[in-house]
Amino acid sequence: MFSEIFRFELKYALKKPSTYVFFSIYFAFYLFLSLAASGVIPLGSSDSNTLLNSAVANASLYLAFNQNILALIHNMIIIAIMATAIQRDFEYNSHSLFFTKPITKSAYFFGRFFGVLVIALFVFSGQLFGLLLGSIIGSGQPTIGPIHLYNYLQPFLYFVVPNTLLFGTIYFSLTTFLRNTTIAYLFTVIFFLFDLAANAVLSDIEYQSLAAMLDPYGNKALGKVTQYWTPSEQNERLLSLTDYLLYNRAAWLGLALLIMWFSYVRFSFSQFLNPSKVFLFRKIREQSLSPQTPAIQHVGELPKVTISASGKAFWNQLLFISRFEYKRIVKSYFFIIMLVLGGVLAYVISSFNSLIFGTEVYPVTYNIVSQTGSMFQFMLSILIIFYSGNLVFNEKQFKVDELVGASPIKSSTLVLGKYLGLLASVALGLLGALITGVVIQSLKGYYHFEFNQYFVSLYGRTFINLALISAICFVIQFMVSNKYVGFVISFIVAFLSKIIFSQLQLKNPLYSFNSSGPMLPYSDMNGYGDSTPIFYLFKLYWLAVIVLLFVFAIRFYLRGKEKGLKARFRFSKYDSHKQFRLAAIVSGIVFIGIGSVIYYNVKVANKIISKTEEEKLEAKFEQTYKHFQYTHQPRVVSSYVEVDLFPDELGAKFKGYYFLKNKHKVAIDTIMINYSGEIQLKSLQFSLPHIEIIDDTEMDVKVFKLNAPLQPGDSIRLDFAIDYFRKSWFSNNEKSDVVYNGTFINNSLLPSIGYNDDAELDQNEARAKFNLKPKARMNNINDTAAFANTYISKDADWINFECIVSTVDDQIAVAPGYLIKEYTKDNRRYFHYKMDCPILNFYSFLSARYKVKKDKYKAINIEIYYHEGHEYNLDRMINSIKKSLAYYEKAFSPYQHRQVRILEFPRYASFAQSFPNTIPYSESIGFIADVDENDPLSIDYPFYVTAHEVGHQWWAHQVIGADVQGSTLMSESLAEYSALMVMEKEYGKEAMHKFLADALNKYLLGRATEKKKELPIMLAENQQYIHYNKGCLIMYALRDYIGEDSVNSALKRYIKKVGFQSAPYTTAKEFVANMRLSTPDSLQYVIKDLFEDITVYENYVKDLKSVKQADGKYKVTLTVGTSKFKADSLGKSKEVPVNDWIDIGIFNEQEVKGKKTDKELLLKKIKMDKAVKTFEFIVDKEPVSAGLDPYNKLIDRMPDNNKCRFDAKPTPPDLSANSSNVNITIN
Amino acid sequence: MQLTISNVSKTYENGLKALTDVNLTIAPGMFGLLGPNGAGKSTLMRTIATLQDPDTGSIMLGDIDVVKQKEDLRKVLGYLPQDFGFYPKVNAEDMLDHFAVLKGINNKSERKAICDALLHQTNLYDARKRNLSEYSGGMRQRFGIAQALLGNPKLIIVDEPTAGLDPAERNRFHNILSDLGENIIVILSTHIVEDIKNLCPRMVIMNRGQVLLDGKPSETIEQMRNTIWKLMIDKNDLNAYKEKYKIISAKVIDGKVLIHVKSDTLPDAAFSVVEPDLEDVYFSNIL
Repeated sequence: MFSEIFRFELKYALKKPSTYVFFSIYFAFYLFLSLAASGVIPLGSSDSNTLLNSAVANASLYLAFNQNILALIHNMIIIAIMATAIQRDFEYNSHSLFFTKPITKSAYFFGRFFGVLVIALFVFSGQLFGLLLGSIIGSGQPTIGPIHLYNYLQPFLYFVVPNTLLFGTIYFSLTTFLRNTTIAYLFTVIFFLFDLAANAVLSDIEYQSLAAMLDPYGNKALGKVTQYWTPSEQNERLLSLTDYLLYNRAAWLGLALLIMWFSYVRFSFSQFLNPSKVFLFRKIREQSLSPQTPAIQHVGELPKVTISASGKAFWNQLLFISRFEYKRIVKSYFFIIMLVLGGVLAYVISSFNSLIFGTEVYPVTYNIVSQTGSMFQFMLSILIIFYSGNLVFNEKQFKVDELVGASPIKSSTLVLGKYLGLLASVALGLLGALITGVVIQSLKGYYHFEFNQYFVSLYGRTFINLALISAICFVIQFMVSNKYVGFVISFIVAFLSKIIFSQLQLKNPLYSFNSSGPMLPYSDMNGYGDSTPIFYLFKLYWLAVIVLLFVFAIRFYLRGKEKGLKARFRFSKYDSHKQFRLAAIVSGIVFIGIGSVIYYNVKVANKIISKTEEEKLEAKFEQTYKHFQYTHQPRVVSSYVEVDLFPDELGAKFKGYYFLKNKHKVAIDTIMINYSGEIQLKSLQFSLPHIEIIDDTEMDVKVFKLNAPLQPGDSIRLDFAIDYFRKSWFSNNEKSDVVYNGTFINNSLLPSIGYNDDAELDQNEARAKFNLKPKARMNNINDTAAFANTYISKDADWINFECIVSTVDDQIAVAPGYLIKEYTKDNRRYFHYKMDCPILNFYSFLSARYKVKKDKYKAINIEIYYHEGHEYNLDRMINSIKKSLAYYEKAFSPYQHRQVRILEFPRYASFAQSFPNTIPYSESIGFIADVDENDPLSIDYPFYVTAHEVGHQWWAHQVIGADVQGSTLMSESLAEYSALMVMEKEYGKEAMHKFLADALNKYLLGRATEKKKELPIMLAENQQYIHYNKGCLIMYALRDYIGEDSVNSALKRYIKKVGFQSAPYTTAKEFVANMRLSTPDSLQYVIKDLFEDITVYENYVKDLKSVKQADGKYKVTLTVGTSKFKADSLGKSKEVPVNDWIDIGIFNEQEVKGKKTDKELLLKKIKMDKAVKTFEFIVDKEPVSAGLDPYNKLIDRMPDNNKCRFDAKPTPPDLSANSSNVNITIN
Repeated sequence: MQLTISNVSKTYENGLKALTDVNLTIAPGMFGLLGPNGAGKSTLMRTIATLQDPDTGSIMLGDIDVVKQKEDLRKVLGYLPQDFGFYPKVNAEDMLDHFAVLKGINNKSERKAICDALLHQTNLYDARKRNLSEYSGGMRQRFGIAQALLGNPKLIIVDEPTAGLDPAERNRFHNILSDLGENIIVILSTHIVEDIKNLCPRMVIMNRGQVLLDGKPSETIEQMRNTIWKLMIDKNDLNAYKEKYKIISAKVIDGKVLIHVKSDTLPDAAFSVVEPDLEDVYFSNIL
């Protein structure tokens, strides 16, 4: 019986075209994904270390359909396939036929369920076959490894099968019991939103394990287990069902079975006669009998009415219908649930969205508006897709179509009314967003509501976008005969079109639906910038497009009983508005007019170039000019610039000169000048006679020949004049350097001398296409020729610098140097800055309506230029500057300047950057941080970032490495170290843990996603996860081994030796050698482990117990283990014998400000000369936990098992997988 | 004003010929359209009600061309389709008001007056605040006729209005229909002979997309006089009789079968003549 029903179900589904359509969707999607990623379909190339067809890669590709917006589609497909297996018997009234037959409940229930389950799995196997075929076609590509079927099958079994079972069961049960798929869809959306919120809330690494368990798809569990896998492990290992992955899969599969069992038990055939009610509060009213004797009036006596001509009735009808539909929408449960849910979730995630190091930012209006607004925008988009289909098909669905169809209302009036009704509910929804935002702000004790921002953002932007989306959804629904097809198309247009277009490298905003042009986020400093009129221009363009489409599509509006598009078109022939023609003509004109303006701006005036075109140009540059890299060039020794900033015109003019000196031993007669493609070069003039021999405007290169060669030691003056104004009103990309308030530009806009190999094509896969040899990411550390340059500048060493910056009269302009004169001329303010010591060829110009806070440390002036209202953390910054200056002057060397200035710039970028005595600092990364003094886990990052940037005044602006591997060790890593030390002095050791744990996590994640090769820090190639994250870990560890004084004295000695040096510049090798000098013999191995190798530990607790002794003390027996690995550039590890000094610690607990934290009872370094050792200690108080390297000072891929509580069972790691026999070569 | 249907044909995409060269002229008054299920009645009704276009032919109401001037026709049209529903969670009063607006009744007080009057007339006034989804079948049909009467229509089309109603409701409905007056055209499409008999001074019988008979019910009955014969037979003999005679109807009564046979002369001595009724007319035409 079961098999009969099961087979029937299969046959039924296999007859439906939708089954094959769904299969094809998955198949095509994954095939395309695979081909595009492996480079068979060329979409621009990038290098990668990881194979695309490993088990891990396939697993994450399968899981891609369980995330974000794709999860919605995926779930809707599950609903379509699985939910209605039993419910449709009711829908088609065939249940009575089935239930009266002698079939058992189990055969019917499970036959149906497993039938659809198998079909669903068949559909999703499209993923597997798509990937497999993609790999087969792409085999031979470097990113496609050997094809093993189990790499595809295993993740399918681990994820796709259980997930389909779980969600299929849920939807099947919901739909069967409620006899309605709407609840299943609603569940999908609600689940999606919860998932979104959970992601935000659980994003901190502290919650990783919880998140891994809570994710029903197993995606986070997979992440937790494999996140630190190095590229080589990712390529070679299979997934193993262990640890969180096992628990997660078992738990969710168990839940699926439980739900299924429960549904089965609860299911009964008679249930169909009585569907379960979700909303129990709906009362069924008793039918009242109608009176027996109808009081019939004569029809002729009915009141007379006037029927208005359609033109006159238009507005009245429009208003009435929109009100009618509006009421129906806002009274529906779906609308109310979505709104309430949106509000709640927006509140929940509001605390987590802008966390930096566990610290919140103040709930300033732009943040709250953008978070809450985007939550509501998403929800309302879903509502729009749903309701636009329902509104268009309403009459048909409720069988009112003939009644309405035969009324004299015009179709256009009817649908416009519906459209406006939908817009009104969207407007109400956005009011919900506004209220939510204000409530969130109030609850956080922040009362500076900027309602203008709420209105501009929610109604001036979001509403308009949603109105256009609604319109296109209507148009789509007109053109289809089935609203579900309309849903799918609407969904693709509303959510996926941007992604699809950008994947296809189609960047032209003219055909990316609802494009907004270059958008700047709101900045407190610069407001909406110049993007507002452009936004409305784009929206007007799309409005014109929509009107044109509407006028056409309305002809297909389903009115009456005609079937088929052709018949519908014919049917409406005499039914169209006369005004339509006018509307079409006007929109046509607007469409062509604005379209041309946009086309001119983005395509003609500012060339949009695709990634492949860009690659071509870079290759051409290298092929044409590479020889200039070996042609001696004079070097900049002095720079004088007059900069006129025009914030209102969004441009600037530069006039100035360089002095160039021949520092080589041979005469120079050819000089190559490179200039930015963004600028307009007005003049370029040498002080000695010369001729221009190349003027290449495509690649922005000029080459000059001097009539008489420049002799060694001689100088030449190069005068330049540059205009920097936008080539057009706007480009395709937002520009945010010269803005109304908060300009921040640097000297990269000025001409540079000689060939710059940074402009070369750097992806080796792409280079191969142009027959270019593979390019090293950086020059080799032994490449002495490269020692001639710093890694900052290829055309200068230390320069003299002077500038006059002018700006509008209500702004202050700032550049490196000391203000020697300020004056006003022609309503413009002029600031004359001059540097009194040589600086790197690296300077910036800023201008804004600043407030200035001043302070002093000894003779050093401290100035913070900030935006009024952003006073929150100024004292923290000043405090940090003072503490930093004090520490660095004592520990390293004297500060070379007499001032430190911090300058706020708009949040278009979120970094701080150290120029000589001048630190531009984004408004988003410290100015509005809400540091919680009472939370030990909240890091005072304004203090930290400031200390880091001040540290750069030493590490970069005093010591600068050569243009080779490893040089960022002496800038970024040492700035990190400096800041750590200042931070530790200020906040104590305890505050470091969170910070170091974060660094460890980022380092391990960074190396897992390395695209080329991981290198020891001494050879790092500007790899952020190495020079920042590993840098601060190893410097902190070194400090721990040899002591702060030894480290600092070594740094002092190093600065003394190489500070302000000329070429050849120092390298990391020299730095490491210097550190060795301060390291005792017994710890020399540490230097090698930390700097010269990639060393990874696996420290763990194997066993522990404590016994209370007679004297009240505790005897602790602790068995700990360690394994030490050295890794190669792909993360292949090899175990090496251990003979290391490692911390061992025993802790109890104490309460600090209401939170339990560990308190050391014992911490000492012990020698681990065996893999596993047992120790005994006596401690005074009852110990709570103990472990090896409890503070994670060493790099450890399983940092959690270093420490264990005495009341818990230790979890020693499975070490077998970590090691493989490979030779480690470090070059 | 009269409704002229000339040479109207309609074939559906699936090849079904719904209407074949239909010609009718309908003057004010109640006009019955009788035919079995699938006869093309609804297609014809919908075509007149501007919900479908004919493939060929024309339909004129006075000087309004139904195909080209749909909106003009809709203004004077009251239509009660065979199968209709309502929006959920909307009460009768609001729904009727909604239809009144769609009809183009702009003036709010006029709208209120006509809606109230219609609700009274259809005896739904007390139930006006109830959701239509809770209405019984008869109430729904009465509401349907109420909305069809909005805006003083000159042409009213009611398609199978009494199907599924109990006798009391059907009577109630007939009362409303019969009151619609002589000045407007009322087309009543039905497969229930009773409806026509009670209400229509004129009728046509349709089957398979064609008009088979056009006339006054009484006249058509009169023409049938002395041509219909009845006989009680055994159930098992039915097939034998079928081969032999033109049986127009066969009803089971007390285990026996009562057959009506059409024949200009007495078919057999066993038969006796019957006073024909409309049903006989109907059955003899659609065979």
